[in-house]
Order: sequence, then structure tokens, then C-alpha cells
Amino acid sequence: MKIRSIRYILKEGFKNAYRNRLMSLASVSIITAALILFGIFYLILINLNHNLDLLYQKPQMQVYCLPELTDEQVAAVRTEIANNKYIESFQEVSKKEAFEQLKKYLESDKKDLGGAEILEGYDESMMFVSFTVKVKDPQDSSKVAKELEALAGVDNVKYSQQTIDMILKISHWVKLVSFILIGMLLVISLFIIANTIKLTVFARRKEINIMKYIGATDWFIRWPFVFEGILIGLLGALIAFVIVAYIYGFAQQKLTTEFASGLDMVQFGDAWGMLVLIYIGISSLIGASGSAMSIRKHLHV
Amino acid sequence: MVEFIDITKKYPNGTVALKGINLKINKGDFAFIVGTSGSGKSTLLKLLMKEETATEGEVIVNGYQLSKLPPKQIPYLRRGIGMVFQDFRLLPNKTVYENVAFAMEITECLPREIRRQVPMSLALVGLSRKANAYPHQLSGGEQQRVAIARALVNNPALLIADEPTGNLDPENSWEIVKLLSEVNQRGTTVIVATHEKSIVDAMKKRVIAIDKGKIIRDQQKGLYRDEDTEYSLYTEGRF
Repeated sequence: MKIRSIRYILKEGFKNAYRNRLMSLASVSIITAALILFGIFYLILINLNHNLDLLYQKPQMQVYCLPELTDEQVAAVRTEIANNKYIESFQEVSKKEAFEQLKKYLESDKKDLGGAEILEGYDESMMFVSFTVKVKDPQDSSKVAKELEALAGVDNVKYSQQTIDMILKISHWVKLVSFILIGMLLVISLFIIANTIKLTVFARRKEINIMKYIGATDWFIRWPFVFEGILIGLLGALIAFVIVAYIYGFAQQKLTTEFASGLDMVQFGDAWGMLVLIYIGISSLIGASGSAMSIRKHLHV
Repeated sequence: MVEFIDITKKYPNGTVALKGINLKINKGDFAFIVGTSGSGKSTLLKLLMKEETATEGEVIVNGYQLSKLPPKQIPYLRRGIGMVFQDFRLLPNKTVYENVAFAMEITECLPREIRRQVPMSLALVGLSRKANAYPHQLSGGEQQRVAIARALVNNPALLIADEPTGNLDPENSWEIVKLLSEVNQRGTTVIVATHEKSIVDAMKKRVIAIDKGKIIRDQQKGLYRDEDTEYSLYTEGRF
């Protein structure tokens, strides 16, 4: 194929898609639907992974000591933590620091209850010492938690493994459901595109016949149909992208205010590059394969 | 130019369309192929274009051995052959100019060549003034001339016309045949399949008569019907 024929192929592709616009529209819509679904699931997964990463980075564990411990007992716990080979680092939060943190929290977030004033008459002795522990490998979290919990003077241990497990489970199901749904929609798109191309081939069979007699090569005849399929796919991708971007913007706003704590959403700007590439890839692949199916069956060149 | 060597063509349904055809048409010849429908005339033309492949024997066109021609080469074989049909086969949504240019576009010619070649071809068939008309605005004879211009625009060595006057009145038929004769005089080999007696008789060119898949007559400066062969056809009740 020669460069100057590309113009011809593009022109014919556009013309065919337009002439056959009802079917083209149907094909575009189904691709759009599939890709919107894909985009939503993709962004959900990205966000789950992002939060998972944050959890892994966060201090893994809070070890809370009993309030009545003496300094020596606290020191014993500290030594145990320092000697645990699964622990990468730890930080001690003293009673005084804990009290300051509580005050600050009440002052900023619970102003309506009277802020720090409700602590009037209390002092740091009511607080307890805690350790923020970072585990080397998050996989060991539950084991380490059990060990620390067994130490004398330790009240309880809180760690993010429960949350991590939940997120992993959610993302597993999201993957499974999206794989099935998107797969089904893509297969449907494939057949609808093939059908659209079939109609174009039928509408132009007279022209195709003439082309064959004049000596057009097989691929010269095929390319406009392949391009028509790709065009339909790309159009679907474009619409899907715009809609997904809009939905995500909306969801981001809603969700970040709803779950102010704990949920950190990926900025759409960080995710869209990959999404665009995937969209272009999937849509043109489906479009081209749909055409190819039809061409094989109906375009006897 | 064109050679049929011991050609037999059987269709999958068992019909034997041609049997034992030996035929040679030289460069620069003008030949009529005559015969009733079902005689094998169309099969002969289809073999030339490699629309069908012979069951036995070899067809040679423009130096291509068609039995050995890979499918990928078929377009290049066809570029060397101009084809004119009874039903013109013009594209209704393209102008005369575009219809002719189309033949060059799809063979991937340079735009510069197209702009030079198309007007020349239209001038040859005498339709320069109708370049911007659409096929439905033309008479049948004019449409067939457009088809001839399209067939010639890529400068083929061979022009095949399948019943070119079948849809035309006698006057237009004459115009077309004279045009084909002119094309022949410029050096193109011309093969015309027809059953138009008056034209064949008036032209006094080579006549190849086919009946029931066999060449029953091959005569230089022949007539549509020959007294010797006419008798046998008559007894079969063809007329």
C-alpha cells in the first residue's frame, strides 16, 4: 500500500461509517458502554491499589500499653519490641505526648463539646504509653501482632491487616466481576461491529466488484472496511473517556467529603494517560477484529 | 497475447462449459466471439480474467500463465486488461471524470498521472464536455463510452468487451463498435463477445464461434453465421 492511498482509505472509511450511521451508532454505543464499565472498574481498582499502598507505607501497628504500667515495665516492653526481628522501626508515644495529641484533637475536631476544656482537672497520668511499630514485611503483621499482644503490660495491638485483607478481597471481586461483564460486552461489540461492516460491504458490493475487475489489490479493497471498524471503536472510546472522566470527577468530589478519613483517591490526572492508551488499544482492536470477521465472511476479494 | 491450450472447464455442479479449446489471439488483433447464451462464451472471458480457473489446460494472457498465477498477482493481471460490460457498471454517485479517475485511484497512480491521463482518455471517447455529468444524465451510448474510457485509462494491452452493445439501440451500438475499432487501430488487442449479427457482419473481422463449449468456427474476416455451420445449428432448432 502506498502513502497516497491512505487518504483514500480514511475518506472511504468515514464515508462508509456515515452512510451506515444507524448501525455505526449502535456499534459506537455498545463499545462506549463496555469501555465506560471498563473505565469505572479500572479506576476503582487503581484506587484500591493506591490505598493499599498507603496502608503498607503507614505505620503498621499501634501497641497500646496498660495505663498503670511503671516506667520499668514500659522499658521492658520497649526492649521486647526493639529485639523483635520482624520489626523494622518503632516510635514511642509517651503519656505526655498522648495527652497533647488528645488535647489537640479535641480542640480542633470536637469544639462543639467544649474543646480541650473538658480535660479540665485531668492530667497525663490518665493516658497510656503506646508504640507505633513498623513491620518489615506486611505479611508478618498478624504474627507480630500476636507476639506483642502476649507481652506483659500490653493492653492491645491494632494494625491495618484487617483493612488490607478487606481491600484485597474487594479488589479480587471487582476484578472477577469486571472481567466477566466487560468480556461479555466486548464480545457483543465485536459482533455488532461485524454486522455493521457486513451492511457496508453489501451496500458497496457493486463498487467492490468493479474494483476487482479494474485490478485493485485485495488489501486496497479491505482497508477502508478495517478502518471503518477502527473508527467506530475509537469513537466509542472517545465518548466513554469523556463520560468516565466526568463521572470520576463527580465521584471524587463526593467520596472524599463522605469518607474524609481513610480514603485517598487518585487524581484523575494521574490515571488518565494509561486509561487513554488502554482505551485506544481495546477499541481499535475490537473494531479491527469485527471488520476482519466480516471481511472474511462477506468480502470475497 | 492470449492463448488457450487444450482448455477444459468443468463447474463443480458437473456442467462442462468448455472442452478442448485451443485458441490464439495475437497482439493487435480484433476478434469477435460469438455464440448463444450458455455456449461457453462467458466462461471463456472469465478464464481470461482468472475469475475462474481452467480444470485442464493452460491460459496465457499478457505473458501470465494463469494456472500458475498466485491469487496475489491477479490484480496485476487485471490491470493489463480493460473490461467493458453490457450493463456499463459505472458508479452512479460519481461523475464521469471521477468514474474514470477511480480506475487509476484504486491502482494507486500518482495524482499527477491521474490529472493527465483521465482527460486524455475522455477525449479519446469524445466525452470531454461531459466530464462533470453523472451517469444518469447520459444516454446509454455515452455511458458505455465512459466505461470504455475507464477501461482504457490504465493503458491496458488488451480490451475485453462482454456484450458491449447489448443494452444499446442500433445507432449507439455502431458508435461503440467504431470506437472499439479505433482503439484497436491504436494498437490495443480487442476481444468482443456479442450476438449482434449486423455488427459482426459489417465489421468483417475475425470471428470465433463457440457452441456447447467447443469452437465450431474460427474465421478471419468472418460473418456472424457461416453457411456450413448454420445448417447444424438450424437442425438443433436454435433459430
